[in-house]
Amino acid sequence: MELPIQIAKDSPEPIYYQLEEQIKALIASGQLPAGSPLPSIRTLSKDLEISVITTRRAYQNLEYEGFIQTTQGKGTFVADIDDAKKEKVKTETVYKAIQTAVQTALRHDYTFAEIEQIFQQVMVELREKEGS
Amino acid sequence: MQPWLEIMQLRKTIDDFQLGPIDLSFEPGTIHALIGKNGAGKSTLMKMLMNLVKKDEGQIRLFGQSIQNRDESWKQHISYLPQTLIGCNSFNGLELMKLTSHWYSTWDQKYFDQLVQMFDIPLRKLYRNLSQGVQKKLSIALTLACDTDILILDEPTAHMDIPSKQMLMDILVEWMERSEKLMIIASHQTDDIRKLADYLIVLKNGQLLGKFEKEELASRYKRYFLQRPLPNKPIPGEVGRKGKQIVITQQQENTEQYLIEHQYDWIKAESLELEEIITIMLNQPIYQKGT
Repeated sequence: MELPIQIAKDSPEPIYYQLEEQIKALIASGQLPAGSPLPSIRTLSKDLEISVITTRRAYQNLEYEGFIQTTQGKGTFVADIDDAKKEKVKTETVYKAIQTAVQTALRHDYTFAEIEQIFQQVMVELREKEGS
Repeated sequence: MQPWLEIMQLRKTIDDFQLGPIDLSFEPGTIHALIGKNGAGKSTLMKMLMNLVKKDEGQIRLFGQSIQNRDESWKQHISYLPQTLIGCNSFNGLELMKLTSHWYSTWDQKYFDQLVQMFDIPLRKLYRNLSQGVQKKLSIALTLACDTDILILDEPTAHMDIPSKQMLMDILVEWMERSEKLMIIASHQTDDIRKLADYLIVLKNGQLLGKFEKEELASRYKRYFLQRPLPNKPIPGEVGRKGKQIVITQQQENTEQYLIEHQYDWIKAESLELEEIITIMLNQPIYQKGT
């Protein structure tokens, strides 16, 4: 099973963390429902071209936080998580995405007022698309 | 986790070439890539692990047992793919299979048959009549089917066609998951290293530069595109420059601190490809040892 995960090697965020966050998002959005099998640590490491040390760290954290479960001899599966937790991850994911967008704009010397303007514009465009 | 294989203060002199002293340990569940230029000592080190080249000094311990003992039962735990198989020319694949399987109690016939089918290896042809690529495929099938705990591969993908290389990569990944395994692989192919290696062991002129975890090594190196020219003298961590506004560092934190303190803003900071990092390490004069 291949996961739609993309690692940004230039990102200041550590790779294990990126992996963790992306798997969480896949679970919270329902793309990976409870019980779905996850690739083995070795296979995922090969696909993402990272070491098993990094992948294991991400899996261990996910397991600790209750997102996944490993059964000896059977593999790793998505755990049953409650809606409140899913909701929390969703909120965090969206919040972070917007935060990153604002930070990008600030790095390009935009003022807060200008950023708000861009935000409004994006909203208008997307609303129109949605409506049509 | 307890290492399965340990090397302590290993030394060997062959003519004017000196290998070591080398200290290394290998834990189960991991793939180690041996990296170095031609003649750096990779193959010699691998042969020493198999006791095919006698050491001058030091110790090699496999599951806590010295491999220099008269008792050779340790050989059951380890299989080795040399760069070239010698003495096989007048045998065909079936005969080689019989010879190899005889030595290993862990031999997996079903798995061997599967590999032969996947690689499309003609078992009734004499070894010397096979192309170099097919010879390699046959020797890989023979080595993998021993299903030992430890696998040592000296340039497994050399001479192989591109689709076979890709297939071998998947086969090696699956092999690692047959049970708890350890793999040591010497390769010049960056694709092998990127996809398979957890640790990089870097050798240079017989000296060990260090054993590095892949991402940890990659995170040390960065390339900065600066907004204004740098001073002529090297800055902390610098290992290379292109023009006056592009600098490569191998101590990302130190360099970044310097750039911030001296107000050299950057437009972009990017990671280096593994190939570039290896090239820098192997071309750099030795003054800094890894961990």
